[in-house]
Amino acid sequence: MELQDPRPSKWQLFRIWASVGLQSFGGGASTTFLIQRAFIEKHKWLSMEEFTQLWNLCILTPGINLIALTVLIGRKLGGAWGIAISLAGLLLPSAAITCLLAAGFKTVENLPAVQAILRGVVPATGGIMLLVGLNFALPLIRRGYKEGALYLLASSVLIIACALAVILLKLSVIVVVLGAAFLGALFFSSKSAPPLLGKEQGEQQ
Amino acid sequence: MINPLIYFLLFLKASLFSTGGFSNLPSLHQDLLANAWAKEADFGQSIAIGQISPGPNGLWVISLGYLTYGYLGAFLALIAITFPALLVLVISAGYTRIEHRVWVRGAMHGVSLAVVGLLLTVVWTILYTWNMEQLRHGSTGALGVDWKGMLIAGCAFGLALSRKVNILIILGLAGLAGYLLYR
Repeated sequence: MELQDPRPSKWQLFRIWASVGLQSFGGGASTTFLIQRAFIEKHKWLSMEEFTQLWNLCILTPGINLIALTVLIGRKLGGAWGIAISLAGLLLPSAAITCLLAAGFKTVENLPAVQAILRGVVPATGGIMLLVGLNFALPLIRRGYKEGALYLLASSVLIIACALAVILLKLSVIVVVLGAAFLGALFFSSKSAPPLLGKEQGEQQ
Repeated sequence: MINPLIYFLLFLKASLFSTGGFSNLPSLHQDLLANAWAKEADFGQSIAIGQISPGPNGLWVISLGYLTYGYLGAFLALIAITFPALLVLVISAGYTRIEHRVWVRGAMHGVSLAVVGLLLTVVWTILYTWNMEQLRHGSTGALGVDWKGMLIAGCAFGLALSRKVNILIILGLAGLAGYLLYR
């Protein structure tokens, strides 16, 4: 492992993460891109292989993968302090801006013009969410094709069953997720699953 | 009246049982509405604010916290999404030992499928109840389906799918369409 640059100072680490957080508009893909550019290309603190390994651990972690990635990179570059500083840098400035935007929205939300604008924006977020769902589904469907028709069918049935369980039966989301994990362990384990070290998964979130 | 501890625990639970920035949405949607601690409209608005503001897209939860419970809500939401990420330290220590067990991969596959199904329920609820809200305002006489909203949702989906148009521009166009259609 060749590290070309010396380890960052605390302040430098904070500044880098803050700039990643503040520049990443439009969600995870741009954040991932900015992290790769800052830590791999510009400062050479990580290799691409290391980055991929860290990312795969993050996929298995509950919650937001990018925050888990921040924890791992922070630990590598500065131990416990590195974790705290990296999290603060990524989250505090961008969370403050998010909060201020929400506060600004609250003061104007009852204006008729704002109401009209929202009637356009909210359905659009529904459409975008649909795409987020499809992005999640795509690697699973691809894998289904490789494993055969029965596997694909079982996967589709599980997706629809989970949706219906929440909409019609009003089951708790947690129950649905745990049930799906159990069914997955029962029915999808016998197949030769591909290793989790797939690069395409890095595009998600 | 919101109980801050339970409010925090609901956010924490949603985060602990999710993977990725949006998959905590179904759980929060269910729990906050059941307690009447959020309005349906809060969710669509938080997602829109989250898309406009910088940072990982999981930060939409912060604006949900603010809209439902002020600055304290935003703060609790921030803690609730940060804490589960620290589990990656435990996982990096333990995963290498179990990653080759087949049931682990099977279970992960099941969870991924569930996440897709759950996101579909959220899309359905955003579109369905949003239109119901319009009904209550008395803008249409038909049963719950507003074709203009569906058209906007369809166009937003198509533009996002093309990957050529920035999300901010899509939301801006949708807002303009809303202004012109519903003013």
